[in-house]
Amino acid sequence: MTGRKIFILITAGLLAVSAVWCVYLAMRPAGEEIVISQDGKELYRIDLSRTPYRTIEVEYKGRKNVIEIKDGEVRMTHADCPDHICIETGKLRPDTPIVCLPNRLVIEYAGGGLDGTAR
Amino acid sequence: MKVNKLTKLGLLTCLALIIFIVELRLPDVVPVPGVKLGLANIITVYCIYTFTPAETAMMLFSRILLGALFSGNLMALWYSIAGGALCFAGMVLLRRAADEKNMWFLSVIGAVLHNIGQITVAMIVLKSKAVLGYLPVLLISGCIAGLFTGICAQLVTGRLNSRRKNKSAEK
Repeated sequence: MTGRKIFILITAGLLAVSAVWCVYLAMRPAGEEIVISQDGKELYRIDLSRTPYRTIEVEYKGRKNVIEIKDGEVRMTHADCPDHICIETGKLRPDTPIVCLPNRLVIEYAGGGLDGTAR
Repeated sequence: MKVNKLTKLGLLTCLALIIFIVELRLPDVVPVPGVKLGLANIITVYCIYTFTPAETAMMLFSRILLGALFSGNLMALWYSIAGGALCFAGMVLLRRAADEKNMWFLSVIGAVLHNIGQITVAMIVLKSKAVLGYLPVLLISGCIAGLFTGICAQLVTGRLNSRRKNKSAEK
């Protein structure tokens, strides 16, 4: 019986820690700057408050992604990859980046990631 | 290896593969990449409790390889292998601590480790820590999905093994 109690405690603890982590990420101020990077290299750094509308095309090994910035919202509108997960992600949120794994593309708020917590 | 065991493992691999492919066809509940039930894990957990680690590993990796081939998503193979390997290692180690009544816990840890493995590969591939933002969501979904598949595995194992005991009692 004690084993069972320990297991329940560990599971509950894991859930609690993840929930707190989630809330922490969601509450964090996002800032106005977004970073678009590919293969670990930063391609664009864009100030959303100064960019009312812009589309950006990014290519990777012949495959293309189109990113749209409109009224302070960022989303992927076109992707050549097979799964289209990045498009389904919708608009960019401060807690989770938009990721296109096959094309190695990441769009995130500049304050995000581990670098943000270190600041 | 005896033919009996080989047949059983082949059958289980096939079952896991069918579950895996059918699950791919289900629509996503949450629009977060990586969130899924992982129903094929039921078979893995069952195998952990019924066969040796080596036999389970054979079953699991044939399933992952064939699954990637059949779903046509070879890109995802590396994520599946990393997740599967970490999940398998964790479950084999925990097998000693958790008896058959605590299968759900093994499954929860397996699911969580699977997600951690996938995020790690994604971080390496993208050369970016940004995907770490997905980890807390994946941990929560992993706990819930793992609990579900674990309870399923517990029910399946209980029934299969009680039938086996009945059969041997009849003889």
